[in-house]
Amino acid sequence: MQAPESRDDDWSELLTLVGAQRDRAAFERLFHHFAPLIKGFHHSRNAQAFSAEAADELVQEVMFRVWRKAPSFDARKASASTWIYTVMRNCRIDMLRRNSRRQHEDGGVDVEDLWDEAPDNQPLLFLQQKRNEQDIAAGLRALPAEQSHVLEKAYMEGKSHSEISAELGLPLGTVKSRVRLALKKLQAILGR
Amino acid sequence: MIRHHPENNLLLEYAAGSLPWALSLVVAAHVQLCPQCRSQYQTMNRVGGSLLQDVEPQPLPADALQRLMGRIASAEQGAEQEAITAKAAATKNADPLFARLPRVIRKLVDGNEPLKWKRVSPALRMSRLHTGQERYEVAFHRIHSGGKVAEHDHRGREITLVLYGSFSDKDGVYGEGDFLVREPGEIHRPIATQDQECLCFSVVEAPVTITGPLGWLINPFLSFRPG
Repeated sequence: MQAPESRDDDWSELLTLVGAQRDRAAFERLFHHFAPLIKGFHHSRNAQAFSAEAADELVQEVMFRVWRKAPSFDARKASASTWIYTVMRNCRIDMLRRNSRRQHEDGGVDVEDLWDEAPDNQPLLFLQQKRNEQDIAAGLRALPAEQSHVLEKAYMEGKSHSEISAELGLPLGTVKSRVRLALKKLQAILGR
Repeated sequence: MIRHHPENNLLLEYAAGSLPWALSLVVAAHVQLCPQCRSQYQTMNRVGGSLLQDVEPQPLPADALQRLMGRIASAEQGAEQEAITAKAAATKNADPLFARLPRVIRKLVDGNEPLKWKRVSPALRMSRLHTGQERYEVAFHRIHSGGKVAEHDHRGREITLVLYGSFSDKDGVYGEGDFLVREPGEIHRPIATQDQECLCFSVVEAPVTITGPLGWLINPFLSFRPG
């Protein structure tokens, strides 16, 4: 049986190995697991934010950064999939921004200055952290389709609330309240 | 204590990476100051991580891993270690108002030309910042102790983060770390607290207009320059 959330511990251990020992075999296992997911996040039946080719390029860049940045991964702060998500999101912002920014007038601020890959949190026990991750995954699967659909559009297609409202032909207020309801449910699970 | 936070919708757009750069900048600065929003942001990152974990995997080109390992090998040979250009924190500003900036704003100040203050009105000065985008005007505003800013409305959305001191308007009092959104059409008249100057970081979508009598004559807010 598939139980992806509990396997996330194993991925975190592998990622820690990659960071501490530059272990290539561990990295290749991570690649085989995460690279097809990174591609699917941007290009699949549900997500068409990128063409297949662009998604392949993004995978190369994200996994390259995962290798380079692995030493800064801290399993106490985030699971492997959450950390890889943040690296991937930042990489996507970087790629999209590269086309539009005025390089010499950007004040020298980089994507990583705006989106911390490992924000410092109140000290969290590892156990607590792991439970949170599992609960969020289960909570997401339990959301009504109309709520999870809006979350997927926001995260996977990188759409703003107003873009989602235009695309789905829904009032902006409806999109906003679906997002808020979804978050409220996820937070209620965490607060138990 | 921080009492005014970005709403969850805005925070989620930030965490999902769909918020325009200038708005992300001001949300990031607030998140760096606010433990509560930092923890929200972390939860939203976990939502991203869970979505990633549950997505339908897609096959990669046969040579994908080989290509990547080739790149990694050559990067390591060429010692492509980022020359960590530890920019000597060129803090050109000994002003106490700038002593406790959030990291991202500090970096933005250090990466910009020295601040040039322009007098907008007797109580208000502003200094624009370059951020490499063209949709929003990004600037510092400082209000004198007890200074009253002319009443103005907002043709476009304005987001303000208080960085030092405090000010009030008809809706409340805003202190360090507070995050406020003014929607188009809202009219307000900020007044700085008596005992100290107030420094704000603001991101404006479109020009604001003075609404009082003679506003058209003395409209100092008219010059809108994104960047």
